Amino acid sequence: MSYGDKMAGTMKSSTPVAPIRLLQSKIGKKWSTIDQASTAAIKTSEKLEKILTGLSSTDAGVVVFGSLARKEWTSKSDIDWTLLVDGQADPQHLEIAQKVAARLTESEFPAPGATGVFGNMTFSHDLVQKIGGREDTNENTTRRVLLLQESRPFGKPDAYDRVLRLLISRYLKDDRGLRFGTIPYKVPRFLLNDIVRYWRTITVDFVEKQRGQAGHGWGLRNAKLRMSRKLIFATGMLSCFSCELLCSPKARQELIKHNSTVGMEEHLRAFVKLTPLEILSTFLLELKIRKRTANKLFSAYNSFLTMLNDSKKRNHLKDLRPDHIPGDTVFDEVRQYSRDFQDGLTDLFFNDNKKLRDLTIFYGVF
Amino acid sequence: MRLIGFSTGALAYSDFQFGLRILMNSHAKAIELSALRENEISPLVHSLSSLNLASFKYISVHAPSKYDPLRESELIVLLKQVAKRNWPIIVHPDAIQNFAAWRVFADLLFIENMDKRNLMGRTAHELSGIFQKLPEARLCFDLGHCRQVDPTMNESYLILQQFGARLGQLHVSEVNSRSTHDPLSDSSVSAFEKIASLIPENVPVILESPVPPEKVQFELKRARLALPITPSGNGNRKRETQRLQTAFV
Repeated sequence: MSYGDKMAGTMKSSTPVAPIRLLQSKIGKKWSTIDQASTAAIKTSEKLEKILTGLSSTDAGVVVFGSLARKEWTSKSDIDWTLLVDGQADPQHLEIAQKVAARLTESEFPAPGATGVFGNMTFSHDLVQKIGGREDTNENTTRRVLLLQESRPFGKPDAYDRVLRLLISRYLKDDRGLRFGTIPYKVPRFLLNDIVRYWRTITVDFVEKQRGQAGHGWGLRNAKLRMSRKLIFATGMLSCFSCELLCSPKARQELIKHNSTVGMEEHLRAFVKLTPLEILSTFLLELKIRKRTANKLFSAYNSFLTMLNDSKKRNHLKDLRPDHIPGDTVFDEVRQYSRDFQDGLTDLFFNDNKKLRDLTIFYGVF
Repeated sequence: MRLIGFSTGALAYSDFQFGLRILMNSHAKAIELSALRENEISPLVHSLSSLNLASFKYISVHAPSKYDPLRESELIVLLKQVAKRNWPIIVHPDAIQNFAAWRVFADLLFIENMDKRNLMGRTAHELSGIFQKLPEARLCFDLGHCRQVDPTMNESYLILQQFGARLGQLHVSEVNSRSTHDPLSDSSVSAFEKIASLIPENVPVILESPVPPEKVQFELKRARLALPITPSGNGNRKRETQRLQTAFV
């Protein structure tokens, strides 16, 4: 389904297909690594579809997260995957998960990280029922928020589609402020808070890993935190703000007049299926953000992906420990483009568009 | 009051005569004569004139869900006997091979939305493609199927919004994760209640809950609970619709 089709009827105006390409042509720039990473992701996805043929059912499907889902596939990317189970219990599910792992290994895809969040089974009930509370573990929050922000199904999408619908429905229907509140904005704050919480959790865990893993992998994690992790936080906020700024008048009216969230749920469902960079470019285009800001954001991100694609620099960063930063030229590069990215985000959220600034002030802190 | 009845298949599997007898002893005013297997349709059609259906205000026939594609035209010829009586024919969209041939039934052809196992006819989007091929056909809206596809009931809302004018009959039951029919649970009752205001009172309701004869009355009551009627006239309907739309959040 094209971007235009996805958004039909749920968005105020529909940015045509491939918003990143449109943005490039509008500001007269080309971000070649972003393009290459997207093309590589599409090719890898096609390969993966073949490898995983027959493993998904209507009750349990393979879902991939991370760079492949974001269409930011670089030479050393790994595949963060889970078998999402949304159906009756079946001992076969474990066998299927093991087959997924075996087929990926046979095809020489690097295994997911050792955190245990990926590379196994995820049960829909935990995702849907445990939003907040004692039982909402770090792993559960990570899977849930990433399912919303950077995921795509392989094989049969039924389980994935159902869980995505249920999650969005829970976030919006349980949000009494959104449905009945008297404030003029219609932003799903329950969802927004979960996205903010997840981002803060990552940043805190970063320091914990720095200590626990004695600095191993620190440089690469730092670069990702400054760029790809921050991107999904920013675009998570934008997805929530899209309900106020880009949602169709019909969906807003349904919510305002009848407290019905159906239209807004449909809007969000289509919106979160875009990649983070597509969400970012959609906002840059729709809100007529300054070209300078768009260029700053995308050029910085292009530099980040270029570095990830450079195995020498990537390995260097992987081995870089915090106490070796001074004078490290590769890390100086990371610092430079990540600061540009930060500046771009500050301009986007605070300086270039009054409505976005108002929402950021209203929802961003208190 | 809604016309509520049962599918004979739910009560007596392939034995429509027995299903009919069970239902005649209840207060049900609607019946769906079920011939889900190919070999059931011919005996059913040939016994139509001998069946005692006088107590029913609404009668429909469920066409086979699978059949030999080479015998599609024979099946259509048989079903014309049903259409002659002006009874709706319920059909699964994935059972149709030659859509043009089925257009002969016009608005007596009711297309049923499918459960999660099927690759077509599950959502408003998928149904719209089918109705393009069968422009006069109506909708047999299976609430259990749709809830299985989307437990939030948003898809049900969207289907009713888009195809409300085509709505001719409901199928009601709980559809479990193995895609088989069960009696209505509280959870299903509560889910169906959310969209009840979008279903006009005159749309017949056919239960597909597999229940023993002694549970028929109970299941009929559960169905009434799941699909409360919206009062009409003097603005009551509008107010009630608004109230129920507020409930559907």
